[in-house]
Amino acid sequence: MQSATEEAVPRSVRRVASRAVDVAKVYGVGSTAVRALDGVDMEFEESKFTAIMGPSGSGKSTLLHCLAGLDQVTSGKIYLGDVDVTSLTEKHRTLLRRDKVGFIFQSFNLIPSLTAKENITLPMDLARRKPDAEWLNGLLDIVGLKDRLHHHPSELSGGEQQRVAAARALASQPAIVFADEPTGNLDSKRGGEMLAFMRRAVKEFGQTIIMVTHDPIAASYSDQVVFLADGKIVDLMEGPTVDKVLDRMKTLES
Amino acid sequence: MWKTTVKGLMAHKLRLVLTALAVVLGVGFIAGTYVLTDTINKTFDQLFADTTQGIDVFVRSETAFESQSGSGTGDREAIPEDVLETVREVEGVETAAGSVSGYAQIVDKEGEAIAPQGPPTLGFGSPDDESAINEDSAVRLRDGRVPSTPDEVMIDAATAEDYDFSVGDSVDILFEGPKRTFEIVGIIGFGDADNLAGATLSVFELEAAQELFNKEGSLDAVEVTAADGVSAGELRNRIAAVIPDGIEAETGTAIADEQSESLQEALGFFNTALLVFGFISLFVGAFIIFNTFSIVVAQRTREFGLLRAMGASGRQILGSVLVESVIVGFLASLVGLAAGFGIAAGLQAVLRAFGLDLPSTGLVFQTRTAVIGLAVGVLVTLFSAIGPARRASRISPMAALRKSSPQQSTFSRRRMIIGVAVTLVGAAILSAGLFGSFDNAVSYVGFGAAIIFFGVTALSPLFAGPLARAIGAPIQALLNIPGKLARQNSLRNPKRTASTAAALMIGLALVSMVSIFGASLKASSSKILDENLKADFILTTSTGGGFTGFSPEVAEGVAEQDEIGAVASLRYGEFRIDGATKFLTATDPDTIEDVTSLGVTEGDVADLNNGGVFLSSEVAESEGLAVGDDLTMEFPSEGDTDVPVVGTFETTDIVGSDFLVSLDSYSERYTTNLDTMVLATVAGGASTDAARDAIGAATSEFPNVTVENQAEFKETQAGLVDQLLGLVTALLALALIIALLGITNTLALSVFERTRELGLLRAVGMSRRQARSMIRWESVIIAVIGAVLGLVVGGFFGWALVTSLADEGISEFALPGGQLIAYVVAAGVAGVIAAIPPARRAARLNVLEAIATE
Repeated sequence: MQSATEEAVPRSVRRVASRAVDVAKVYGVGSTAVRALDGVDMEFEESKFTAIMGPSGSGKSTLLHCLAGLDQVTSGKIYLGDVDVTSLTEKHRTLLRRDKVGFIFQSFNLIPSLTAKENITLPMDLARRKPDAEWLNGLLDIVGLKDRLHHHPSELSGGEQQRVAAARALASQPAIVFADEPTGNLDSKRGGEMLAFMRRAVKEFGQTIIMVTHDPIAASYSDQVVFLADGKIVDLMEGPTVDKVLDRMKTLES
Repeated sequence: MWKTTVKGLMAHKLRLVLTALAVVLGVGFIAGTYVLTDTINKTFDQLFADTTQGIDVFVRSETAFESQSGSGTGDREAIPEDVLETVREVEGVETAAGSVSGYAQIVDKEGEAIAPQGPPTLGFGSPDDESAINEDSAVRLRDGRVPSTPDEVMIDAATAEDYDFSVGDSVDILFEGPKRTFEIVGIIGFGDADNLAGATLSVFELEAAQELFNKEGSLDAVEVTAADGVSAGELRNRIAAVIPDGIEAETGTAIADEQSESLQEALGFFNTALLVFGFISLFVGAFIIFNTFSIVVAQRTREFGLLRAMGASGRQILGSVLVESVIVGFLASLVGLAAGFGIAAGLQAVLRAFGLDLPSTGLVFQTRTAVIGLAVGVLVTLFSAIGPARRASRISPMAALRKSSPQQSTFSRRRMIIGVAVTLVGAAILSAGLFGSFDNAVSYVGFGAAIIFFGVTALSPLFAGPLARAIGAPIQALLNIPGKLARQNSLRNPKRTASTAAALMIGLALVSMVSIFGASLKASSSKILDENLKADFILTTSTGGGFTGFSPEVAEGVAEQDEIGAVASLRYGEFRIDGATKFLTATDPDTIEDVTSLGVTEGDVADLNNGGVFLSSEVAESEGLAVGDDLTMEFPSEGDTDVPVVGTFETTDIVGSDFLVSLDSYSERYTTNLDTMVLATVAGGASTDAARDAIGAATSEFPNVTVENQAEFKETQAGLVDQLLGLVTALLALALIIALLGITNTLALSVFERTRELGLLRAVGMSRRQARSMIRWESVIIAVIGAVLGLVVGGFFGWALVTSLADEGISEFALPGGQLIAYVVAAGVAGVIAAIPPARRAARLNVLEAIATE
């Protein structure tokens, strides 16, 4: 599934959106210590859709949280663009998340007391920044929620809620979007729509997306799959397909 | 089930603590009140025992009833001096000493009259026998000796210490007659105490005292000690047999008992008044407890559902929640009892700050205090938890399987009808108490007010929405998203917001009612003075409570001045009609109408010179009396006396009572002749300044007299009202603090409930500051809702109260606008403070854990 644009831009010229340098994350101390991440080195290029896969307990969610500045690493460095996230204070990490990062979680993505529209513009409102009206309009067209904008989350279906979450993640035109099992709670049809939308954001707007998933079908929408096991990166697959991913996972789990 | 309950309690310590705090404070206040009054009681009992120590029998004149006004000098008639000889001749009498007492006010070294707030300023005649002051006697010589010439005096150790007097100093003392100068020759204590319950004391040579107190040739009492082998009771009987009619003999113990009994009566009122504030606090606390349990039950829906699914019955769930409430109530009440000691000390400090200095020894803790405190605390908690417990018992087992959804509440029509009905019933009971004529009107008023609070609370979710929207609008405009979320969150569960605000509403309703009452009182009294008072100058004394006053020589001296026109003094006396205590005013019938209008409706004030009494038209009507009839008045000295009614008058406000007599009739019936107030006008042609100077010159010997013109007098009166209001407000502060705890509590539980939401907000870029500000403003919205509702209810209470007292001279209804607005602002500020702990919690939230929370 290599696209023409990617072929045209040489790998060395493409800029890095996110980078992990020898990252370790240890929970607990002494004999009970668990190394959730154990020397992870990885560069995530701009305008690329990356899926992180691995068996449960492999550290894939931890990696995502560390890359996003939600969690702190035990050692190593995390860069978001040129910024060393690991050296930032909590306050600056918050500002960085607000301005440069978009999030899509598995569930509970929306504030119940705010309408869909308000949820979408929430990060920009928190920053007291005006959303780019044209961009937002285009985004809403693609997401197809124009008639649901003034509804509250409780009045939206699960799929609609996730689409609102995706729109929120993209609305502020962040440098990078992190998605944690974004289709985990959706049926296959709604899940497919969601993934197609994310794919489109990467292709058409050059959005960078890093997604954690355990679903080979979801992973097949990505440009590359990073396989994680026991806190280490064990493989990298460019142009994944469902079968290739399934095979790889089988060997990992055995 | 029991195990689950206890485990559940321990797992939520914070919840436990927050719920308990409201009970702790309420029970603490009640326990504190009992501890305080018990302590005062014991102190005085001890003191009375001390003062009668070593005296076996008292001989004194009989009285129709004990005066309650507490002038301290007693309203008993003096007894002839020769009774002393009669007593001395009785077999079994070891010693017998005469005593006289009267008003004697010490002047300090700066020339200011020493005026304790409340306790009297007493003078005594010293026993002529120095051996009477020894280790066994009540009075003990600390330094120096007893006076032996008419120019010598002993004073109490407390006054000596506070005002830096010692043996050898000279001191000025004020009497009913002219001021005199003495040399201090001795310092005395009472038992171990430095003074007699705060009273200042000066002790003179007996004969000098008789002259100073206008009791030449007579005594107030004879104090007798029994010879060995003769019991006090036996001696009393022997003495009683020989003394003339109208004079009685009592044992020392009987006197001490009598004194503490009359004190207990006075303290009983004080105790009740303080308890009212304790119960108000608990009432507010009940709302907090109800609220906490409601929220907790809602949050534990799945847990209860699971228990039901596993076979627990609804009854068991109900029992579990109720047991939890009993445990919380019991533990909190225990802590409250302990806190009672601290609160007793705090109350003492508050009262002292407002000029009520009460003596105290160690704090007294009675079993009764513990029983009442525990019972009230547990019952209030249990009662408040019944509603939430019933709701918990109705949770279906299916709730365990359903995904927990933030509970939405709806405002039912039924609730509105009930709310309106309850409010109206409350208003009806309140009005009945205020405007009807029931024996215990105050209970009706209190009960009605409580019911109104319930009704308004039931209705308040209806107002909470619009109010939250209105109050939140500017906050949202100012703060954007945190403000918007604050507003939305407060709207999310109007019932919760409303019942949290309701607690504050109660406190603020009472506070604003009190300030409306105070403002109306001030406006009315100012109007009354403007309309009726003709005097240019008002002379009063700085001495505090009781009916002490200043020498009649002040009025005489002022009247002699050429610059002064009419002068009338006012004096007050206690008497009874059919056993009910009343007060009368004595004045100069010839001049009173020159200094104030009386609104005479019948008769001529000058007729009072021939005895008789003027009645207010109101009393004349209620007693069914007219001019020419007799009013039966019972005086302490002479019992029931038929006094002819010689006239009626309307304006009671300036003279201060419904009964007006002449100064001469007063002197015939009361032993103390002190003026409480003197009214004077400027003579025609004289300047006001000259008149003031003349009064100053005439009163130079009396530093206890304060001279004020009308404006100054008004200001002083307003100051007194403000002081009383300040005291009441300070006592209501506890209820306000509990209400604020309630806000803290609700928000803490809401933050807990919204953990995931807060996590999400933080993840997508809400700063800690914004999170704090969001919680803070939600708190402000709740607090201001409470304040606004409180003002509305308080406004109604204030209006009803003032209207009902129109007959008592409160003719004006005044709204202290600035003050009321200040209350709302203060409530908002308090909301900010109440939000500190939950806001911190919200800001400190671990984002990852919060997102992961179920």
